[in-house]
Amino acid sequence: MFQNTKCKCGHQNPTGTVLCEACGRTLGEEFSDAASELLEMRYDGAARRSQKSNPSIIDRVWNFFSSVKVAVYLIIITLVGASLGTIYPQESSFITTQNLANYYRDTYGTSGEIYYALGLSHTFESWWFVLLLVMIGTSLVICSLDRVLPLYRALNRQQILKHESFLLRQRASYSGTVEGDLTEWIDRFQVQAKKRHYKVIRKDNAFLAEKNRFSRWGPYINHIGLILFLLAVLGRAVPAWEMDEYVTIPEGDTVRVEGTNYFLKNEKFTVEYYEDDELPKELRGTIRAKLYRTDAVMYECSANCSSSETAKLQEVERHPIEVNSPLEYKGLKVYQFDFDNTPVLREVKPIIEDKATGKTYGPFTLAMRNPETSYEVGPYKLELRQNFMEFGIGEDGQPITKSRDPKAPAFIFMLSGPGLAEGGEPYIYFPMQKDKVAFSQDDLNAGLADRFEIRVQGMENVNFVEYTTFLNIRKDLAMPFVWVGLGISMLGLVMGAYWHHRRIWLRVDGNRITIGAHTNKNWYGMRADLAAALKAAGNEVDPKSLDNGGNRT
Amino acid sequence: MKGSARKTVQIIIFLGVLLLGGYAISKTLFVSKEDFVRPGDKPPAFTLATTDGRTVSLADYEGRPVVVNFWGSFCPPCVREMPEFQRQYDKWKSEGLEILAINLSEDDLTVKNFVDGKNLTYPILRDVNEETEKRYRLRSYPTTFFIKPDGTLEEVYEGGMTEADIEERVLKLIKES
Repeated sequence: MFQNTKCKCGHQNPTGTVLCEACGRTLGEEFSDAASELLEMRYDGAARRSQKSNPSIIDRVWNFFSSVKVAVYLIIITLVGASLGTIYPQESSFITTQNLANYYRDTYGTSGEIYYALGLSHTFESWWFVLLLVMIGTSLVICSLDRVLPLYRALNRQQILKHESFLLRQRASYSGTVEGDLTEWIDRFQVQAKKRHYKVIRKDNAFLAEKNRFSRWGPYINHIGLILFLLAVLGRAVPAWEMDEYVTIPEGDTVRVEGTNYFLKNEKFTVEYYEDDELPKELRGTIRAKLYRTDAVMYECSANCSSSETAKLQEVERHPIEVNSPLEYKGLKVYQFDFDNTPVLREVKPIIEDKATGKTYGPFTLAMRNPETSYEVGPYKLELRQNFMEFGIGEDGQPITKSRDPKAPAFIFMLSGPGLAEGGEPYIYFPMQKDKVAFSQDDLNAGLADRFEIRVQGMENVNFVEYTTFLNIRKDLAMPFVWVGLGISMLGLVMGAYWHHRRIWLRVDGNRITIGAHTNKNWYGMRADLAAALKAAGNEVDPKSLDNGGNRT
Repeated sequence: MKGSARKTVQIIIFLGVLLLGGYAISKTLFVSKEDFVRPGDKPPAFTLATTDGRTVSLADYEGRPVVVNFWGSFCPPCVREMPEFQRQYDKWKSEGLEILAINLSEDDLTVKNFVDGKNLTYPILRDVNEETEKRYRLRSYPTTFFIKPDGTLEEVYEGGMTEADIEERVLKLIKES
């Protein structure tokens, strides 16, 4: 399409220009000076950078992203997509990903099954959602660049003397005759404008008063913030930038943090509850936690890191982890996540009693995990023949272990020594009283139970883990950038929202003055400024009469 | 700005978008969730002690079909499938088949008592502190990994297996070599 962009004043404008860069006349309309509609002042009538008379393929793609309409559609589609992701919990909110398909089906029925099948259970990690974000990001960059540079140039080299049609077609305009000295009239007008913080440029008898131009950059600064925000979010996809792991540590244990060279030790876990007199009446008698704390130590491993037993560890940080008080080390944060107070037996120190004489021997130390296989206790010798972590009887009637955690430990010893048969006699020992009763230890040991007993004297001879703590290890190096991005974005919003760019143009023809005024928002204030200046100059008018129509504010 | 400079800016911006956007999108497409060990991947390496006092690495068996089976004496289906694996081992050992049975971090005595008298001739490996099973992201027991001679994973099977189940998969592995 061919468009004549040469203005009547003789200035050659770039393709797509709406208002002549020099005099402000509308372009493209023959004899448009007489037209009375309001001017389209967007971007000060400057052409968008991408508007070209002969676009290439790159230009066409560029133009697609340069369109605000396209940007609005992209944002709407993204909002709809994001809302789909909030219907059911996202996969990332589960610690394990075991059989998620079944989970969604069983928990939410057919709709859950469809939800999972469509991949909406990971909306925010799906290719189409990321693609939308990338497109919005591209649109942000291109839209801004295409508009901010021409706008900057247009505002930076404004012509003072505008054509009459430009002034009269502004939303606020005034035309009238001046009594007395014209220069003095303009002086008075100028003083009042300066009082209202306008910067005034005068050229002969033409005049431009302007204030708060910086507020025009607000939207673009906001966009820079949003772009930084999007880049930071993108950066979280880099593995070294983001981590979210969980560790389970029984008291006293040291556990490796998966995927790192760090080990964490739970020295002690504490949970405290409120006393009844600390609680309001309606909560008395209920259990209310006052404190969860893991006294944690973080180690860095320098060699043999594959196993916590052989690893060479060096302490790097020590911190009592409480809710909202994580252990922090080099960008890693370790949060209290959960705890378990099922006691787990670690070791016992039993004695052997000869029931005939009443004499006791020992104690000896019996560990639940990886116990020694032979013990010398006084004159007696114990050979460990079999051990069970969670004792049970299998389908074939044989003793079995039901798990690998010492929930119901049992030990079969071959006991030999004075008063015992040659080669020893078998003795089954349950360290926990409840198991001893449940599995009738004495019956199993038959005749031997009357003569000997292995038992623990006092709780000081029982070593167990009371609490297991669950910690959440997080790393998010992108966060500072997210905050900076949001800060810049907020700065741009404030700039654009709380200050208004106002301009007043004035020209003199004989003893007639013509004034046009423009602002990007708050026309009420614009007219008030103008009316005040007119009044000070000597032509008192009602601010409302300055309204040229088409005005909503 | 001159036309050529404008074009350069356009191309730089598009290249940036393609690079960053392409990276972000390809990550959603190609990176498996929860780095779970998947067919086609190279399974995590391990070096573990065997019950007969040797040290065995997965890498030692590159070029041969390997079956990695995680088992525990506390898991009845694991116990039931062990003789089935033994029969398959006897049948296909001459074709290069190796079976590595990794115990689920039980203690010495338990493993010794269990293995004694079972006549298992394939190596029994001892995991420590559940470290290997964690790296393999085990979700249930037993779980068996079938590894092709080129070192990549053919299939993960969760649950107990019969001899026919095993043979079907072993034959596939042998065909690859």
